[in-house]
Amino acid sequence: MEAVLKDKQKKKKSKSYSLEKLEQRAGLLFATPALIGFLLFVLIPMICVFLLSLFKVDLMSNTFEFKQFTYYEKMLHDSDFWKSVRNTLVYMVIYVPLTLVLGLGMALILNSKMRARGVVRTFFIIPYITTYVATLVVWNVFLHPTEGPVNTLLMSLGVNNPPQYMVDVDWALPMLAIIGSWKDVGYHCILFLAALQGVSKDYYEASSIDGANRFQRFKHITFPLISPTSFFLLLITMIGGLQAFYQMALLTKGGPAFSTTTMTYHIYRSAFEYYNFSYASAVGMFLFLLTLVFIMINWFAQKKWVFYQ
Amino acid sequence: MLLSQNVKYTIRSIAYLLIGLVFITPLLWMVSTSFKYENQVFERPFVFVHWDQMNWANYKHILMDTAFPTWLWNSVFVVIISVALRLLLSALAGYAFGFLKFRYSDTIFLFFLTTMFIPYQLTLLPQFISFRFINLLDTHWALIIPNIVDILSIFLMRQFFLSFPKELVHAAYIEGSGIFRSFMKVALPLARTPLLTLGLLSFFMIWDQYYQPLIFLHSKEMYTIPIGLQSFQTQFGKQYALQMALACLAIIPVLAVFLALQKQFIESIVSSGLKG
Repeated sequence: MEAVLKDKQKKKKSKSYSLEKLEQRAGLLFATPALIGFLLFVLIPMICVFLLSLFKVDLMSNTFEFKQFTYYEKMLHDSDFWKSVRNTLVYMVIYVPLTLVLGLGMALILNSKMRARGVVRTFFIIPYITTYVATLVVWNVFLHPTEGPVNTLLMSLGVNNPPQYMVDVDWALPMLAIIGSWKDVGYHCILFLAALQGVSKDYYEASSIDGANRFQRFKHITFPLISPTSFFLLLITMIGGLQAFYQMALLTKGGPAFSTTTMTYHIYRSAFEYYNFSYASAVGMFLFLLTLVFIMINWFAQKKWVFYQ
Repeated sequence: MLLSQNVKYTIRSIAYLLIGLVFITPLLWMVSTSFKYENQVFERPFVFVHWDQMNWANYKHILMDTAFPTWLWNSVFVVIISVALRLLLSALAGYAFGFLKFRYSDTIFLFFLTTMFIPYQLTLLPQFISFRFINLLDTHWALIIPNIVDILSIFLMRQFFLSFPKELVHAAYIEGSGIFRSFMKVALPLARTPLLTLGLLSFFMIWDQYYQPLIFLHSKEMYTIPIGLQSFQTQFGKQYALQMALACLAIIPVLAVFLALQKQFIESIVSSGLKG
């Protein structure tokens, strides 16, 4: 009897073992398309970008000539490159805090007691879901310096020299950042709202018994409890800010006077207007490095302020 | 007391509604302008809609006399094929990495994740050169193929299959299904919600893509909506009412999908933002 049982157990074991093996084999098979796709469209391109930045590429004759780090040297001595870095950082300085604060504010509105919440929520999300290029076509006319409705209104209110927005060297970049915020903030609003709704009401009740006012409640309860979401959004927004491209390509073409040429636009122009893929790849590598630096900073800073329950 | 509170509540709601309206003013202006004649665009005083003389000619012109319908079809084609292939690949890979597992699968997956933040503007450079080599430029496949592998999608499907009940699949095995059959008959149907979520999110993202068609396409009849819009912007110059009608038409498909599936869409954003 015992022997039979043991035998049975053995059989069961070997069966589950072979099942595991089968599943593993199938797993590899199931993952194959993804693995091939990853190799072809992520890993190899990434290695190619690095190689591109070391070679002089002639697209007409398809010849490659090894140049070592010449393109990086050229980049570091290029004042246009440094201007694009500066523009990218200025864009981020406006875009990141504005989007986060607006998103949180809008989420707080939606989280409060109100009528017609669904309608307001839809309004808040609409820019985020609409086709980006279409909204930019609208903004282009909306902010037209002489004929646009915004400036027509300002002039009728007695403002004699309203800002020229996209054609003014000082205004263009901040305007693009504001438009970027307007477009993306719906995403932030939804995620903040989800986080706010996850905060248990018990905490608020306990704090109101302790006599905490609204601001104290936000600072000591809400903020720590939604900090994981805030951290995630901060990271995503910074990366989004580093990669902003649409507004520059559609509204300003990097102008006026280079004032809105960010790194991504600089890459685009170098590669697809001047066909200098090697230089563009060098700038791209720098952009990637900068992205990693931002991720690292965030990762280490989160320990100081993010609260995990 | 109760009354005054009610009043306060109503006032606050109206204030919030106004904030919401101010937020979408540019889009309201777009709709309003699209129904105007060019000479009414900057009229004063501003009239939201001339109900007695609404101008449908802008829409008619775009739909009848321009390449817009072709571009709409191109966009729909690219988006549907891309999303379908992306879902298929992500479901298979998610099942492999989350449920079946294989040797080094966790390590490989971790490696996938570390590449998530590579700027797409970077990988497009060698893609452009290689597509040029294999004559894929100026075809829709140049837009579709890079969209199929998406690390975030694989990540989301893996998250779903990580907690997938083993008993269900094992019951299917006992009934004689193989691994592939049980994936098709048991796992996929239950993954409907995350697949819908992912499909929606991908639909909106791919519909919006402008950089890829900008560099990959050059013949006008291949254009998708975003790049087509841009070409109109230069072509129509000062015909603002026409431009606004065009922007409206470009937005209608996504707005319709959004309004129909709003709840799922919001859930999709939330789940995409949740880190595992």
